[in-house]
Amino acid sequence: MIELKNVSRHFGNTIAVDGVNLTIETGEVCVLVGSSGCGKSTTLRMINRLLPYSAGEILVDGEDITTMNPEQLRLNMGYVIQGTGLFPHWTVARNIAMVPTLLNWPRERINARVDELMTLLDLDPSAHANKYPQQLSGGQAQRVGVARALAADPNILLMDEPFGALDAITRENLQLEMLRIQKQVRKTTVFVTHDIDEALKLATRIAVMDQGRIIQHDTPENILRHPASDFVENLIGKQDRGLKLMSLRPVRDLMANHTEPRQSEPGEHVLREEDSVRLALSVMLWQDLRQVAVFNAQEQETGVITRERIIQEGV
Amino acid sequence: MSITEPLRHTVPNRVIPVLGVLALALVWLLDLGTIQPNRIVPGTGHGLLSALGWTGAGLVTGVLLATTVLSMVPVRRRYELLLGLIGLSLATMPLLLDVFAALHLPEGSPYARSSVGAGFWSLLFLLSLMLIETLGRLSARRWLQLMLLVFVGGSWLVFLRGEGLESLSLVREFNARPDKFQQALWTHLALALGAVAISAGLAFALALKMIRSPAWQRPLLGAVSFLQTIPSLAVFGLLIAPLSALSSALPFLQDLGIRGIGWAPALLALIAYSLLPMVRNTFVAITEVPESLADAARGMGMNEHQVFFQLKLPLALPVIIEGVRITTIQAIGLTAVAALIGAGGFGGFIFQGLGQAAMDLVLLGALPTIALALLADALLTMLAASLKPTPATA
Repeated sequence: MIELKNVSRHFGNTIAVDGVNLTIETGEVCVLVGSSGCGKSTTLRMINRLLPYSAGEILVDGEDITTMNPEQLRLNMGYVIQGTGLFPHWTVARNIAMVPTLLNWPRERINARVDELMTLLDLDPSAHANKYPQQLSGGQAQRVGVARALAADPNILLMDEPFGALDAITRENLQLEMLRIQKQVRKTTVFVTHDIDEALKLATRIAVMDQGRIIQHDTPENILRHPASDFVENLIGKQDRGLKLMSLRPVRDLMANHTEPRQSEPGEHVLREEDSVRLALSVMLWQDLRQVAVFNAQEQETGVITRERIIQEGV
Repeated sequence: MSITEPLRHTVPNRVIPVLGVLALALVWLLDLGTIQPNRIVPGTGHGLLSALGWTGAGLVTGVLLATTVLSMVPVRRRYELLLGLIGLSLATMPLLLDVFAALHLPEGSPYARSSVGAGFWSLLFLLSLMLIETLGRLSARRWLQLMLLVFVGGSWLVFLRGEGLESLSLVREFNARPDKFQQALWTHLALALGAVAISAGLAFALALKMIRSPAWQRPLLGAVSFLQTIPSLAVFGLLIAPLSALSSALPFLQDLGIRGIGWAPALLALIAYSLLPMVRNTFVAITEVPESLADAARGMGMNEHQVFFQLKLPLALPVIIEGVRITTIQAIGLTAVAALIGAGGFGGFIFQGLGQAAMDLVLLGALPTIALALLADALLTMLAASLKPTPATA
């Protein structure tokens, strides 16, 4: 658990962060979102003491971070930045092994861990372990960046616009990957972005920041339904809200279940229980259907979802 | 190389034919060697044909024509063949002087000597350029280049030590003073490399100081730039007075050999000259490591010590070595001038030869100086290349 209590940072007369109170529960993904210069990155970098703060206190699992050795503190916090920050003179494997090496793990344990992480992030160890960062694509390099952050199994993950420099398709892939990995590892994550869609997709709770203050801190659904101010309303997009809410809701919520799962042949583009209602509607509109069959992970048809139901209760 | 494998054999080379034709012209137009009745009297020059006879002249012409033609026709393994041909020619070049001396040196005149003419130097220079071009085309491995260097150098040493070239003026000058030559070599190396080593240590400390306290950047860089602008002779001269005063005031310095002239002022001046390229390269190399990388390293839990030794220094090292390379070449050249204040080294032969109007003695000082500089250049370039952070960054 990370607690920020009335934390401020000023240099000279400018105030970068102004009396921030924020509690990040263990295992949740807290996304700090806001326009550039709003203090979100500064807030993140104060948590691992890369930046000092002028007032207030920050507690990690109840302990004041200023009482800890900064290097020890950071070794227990994975850190991912935009543009990866991979060492260009080290191979992929050595980059991932960085923190375990600093912690003096035995060689075999490090090697096993590097293999495990590369597999987790969908990078073939035999093909990529001995490459240098410049030989990777942007998406691959950022996967290595995430693997490096997870290497020593830290309790906390700090991510500073990690997917900001990637193209739209790669970014989307990595976001899905992150959701998948987060389900497995359940790290307490602080994620900084200026992209509200990314925030809605990844967050357990979103903290909207403006001019060094937190304007609203709530779940994605509540932020969409009850924006605290005009600023938040503009950020999430006034007109677009209905569809955004739909994309938060899984098909499972609105489908009519069959009494028993049926064996049937799923088509090329199957709709699954965990897909969003928004996707279901899109499929129906595009293929001009009144209803679509829904499948579970075992390729069994478990129910149907209808256009009517979505229109009535989708939001 | 951007030229792909199949193309490399079919595209005619444009550099080697030009060099080959030029070499052919110069070797026929200029004197290959001269014969002097004694050390001072100017000698009579001999062109290619007169110097070597029809067989020798034909052989030289044939080899040059062969390289020119070979570089233009599409034969498989063309550059490998060229490398062999040119390398062998370079290695056996002293044989030309051998034959020349045997044909033309008058019997029973102990002071007569043969010396190397402009045609021979041109041939040596142009063949070397062809070799460099061929190595470049082959994108040859470093060990191959090194082996070639050892082969050619070794072959020359064997020839120069042999009996056939005893009459060569350079060899004569060497044989008159082998001990002095060896002493000059060690003095030269000790002065140049000592100055480089000391200034490297000093420059590293200064660069670190400048990085830690930015207020020092301007004055320090200003000071070392100022040292660089003083003419070298002036520095040597300027150091004489304070050092002699110092050594007469402190007798133990005299025991160490520190006086107004000799190695002490030479070493000091060489260090002063070496500082600018060293300090500047070290400083720039370390400060140019991107701050985002250092930030990531700190964020992952590295302390400043680890950030410096595991990140900044390895990334900066090739640029630092580049500074060492420039400084070493410069120091080897400047050490020759330091002979003027009695520091010894190859400069001694140069100034002595100039004083006696004996050009061969000048060459005995100048050629090893050039050879040392080239050798240092080659070795340090290889070292820097092997330290490049990754194979992918060219």
